[in-house]
Amino acid sequence: MDTITSSLPQLLQGLWHTIGYSLLAIVLATIIGLIAALMKLSKFWPWKAISTVYVELFRGTPLLVQLFFIVFGLPGAFPVLNQIFGPKSYPFIGAAAGLALNEGAYITEIVRAGILGVDRGQREAAESIGMTPFQTMRYIILPQAFKRMIPPLVNQFAQTIKDTSLLAPIGILELMYQGQIIVSENFEGFAIYGTVAILYFIIIFIITRMAGYLERRLQIDKR
Amino acid sequence: MISVKDLRKSFGSNEVLKGISNEIKEREVVVVIGPSGSGKSTFLRCLNGLEKATSGTIVVAGMELTNPKTDITKLRQRVGMVFQRFNLFHHLTVLDNITIGPRKVLGKSREESEALARQLLAKVGLKDKESSYPDELSGGQQQRVAIARALAMKPDVMLFDEPTSALDPEMVGEVLQVMKDLAREGMTMVVVTHEMGFAREVGDRVIFMDDGVIVEEGTPEQIFSNAKEPRTKAFLSKIL
Repeated sequence: MDTITSSLPQLLQGLWHTIGYSLLAIVLATIIGLIAALMKLSKFWPWKAISTVYVELFRGTPLLVQLFFIVFGLPGAFPVLNQIFGPKSYPFIGAAAGLALNEGAYITEIVRAGILGVDRGQREAAESIGMTPFQTMRYIILPQAFKRMIPPLVNQFAQTIKDTSLLAPIGILELMYQGQIIVSENFEGFAIYGTVAILYFIIIFIITRMAGYLERRLQIDKR
Repeated sequence: MISVKDLRKSFGSNEVLKGISNEIKEREVVVVIGPSGSGKSTFLRCLNGLEKATSGTIVVAGMELTNPKTDITKLRQRVGMVFQRFNLFHHLTVLDNITIGPRKVLGKSREESEALARQLLAKVGLKDKESSYPDELSGGQQQRVAIARALAMKPDVMLFDEPTSALDPEMVGEVLQVMKDLAREGMTMVVVTHEMGFAREVGDRVIFMDDGVIVEEGTPEQIFSNAKEPRTKAFLSKIL
């Protein structure tokens, strides 16, 4: 118990980084996923092609490899990245970007399925009163698609939080890495990694509960 | 009001409309009848661009629909459409279903749109349903809201695509009544339907379509009592 209490401040510091990277990745990935899904559903084939290649690439390779490639590979080939972001901050930006791009690829498919799940008659009715394709998407399709997207999106958000642990090998001081550092000093793997797991579990538990509440409310408010 | 010349429409190699020409005048109520698969719904859907004509020209309210330069959203603002399956926006209340067009498409204020929507709801007999959601209404009520939604755009023409086909029999009457009132007020209407009573009573002209062409057209009297074409007679004998 003493080992846990004494290392808790350091673990909580890591937890904050985990939450920070998770939030950043979730927000960016949702924006990326929405744009990529709309591109994929576009009739203009270059948009469709770009989006398809993006999704296949990021879903077809391991996240850890993607992170190493972006953080340690890209600056070698494109030194301009270090010039723009600074060699000290680039790894942090690259880590966040890599995570967001990876989760965004999964969210693309969730959003796409959500949009396709809305009855075709809804689009036709919107068009029949003179809505532009943008207005149809914004006021009619997306609000209805969003409701059916909540469960898979929350699932993906939980996955994102878990995936931040893969930032440890590239030197981001998040929860997992802090745990490793502590264990390398006190060799209390059971207690420390156990605590790390519990901390991850708590945030994911809170998020899934909040999502369940949101889903039930939407069910009552709007059918 | 609507002028159609040699309209053709194919889905892949299947030609559904094989050269349709027709003129529909202002205030005219045209009823399109015919067996399923005759192309009558496709014809109607071409009139507001929900289906893109393969060839031919369509001019609606002075705008050439078949010209790629025409702003199709502008044209659709002038052409109301009522669907077989109502297609009300499930996530919006009855009132919002009706006001969203005037507000977002025509840029009118919420107050103005809501006042108009309430007027229209009174007209279709659903004054007390403005805060309901579509799924809480019966089919007949939903279809009447759908008519109000189309009317809120103050269209020049109303298209009805089998508006009573998805309804339970006891609800057909209330929807037809609203359509009759509209016709009496002088709305230009094109109605695809199987309701021969409606065609006879309200139609100025009946068009019989089969296999992608207009086989015969005339006043309800001519079509229902004195059909000349064998195909028209065969169809009518089956359903009357």
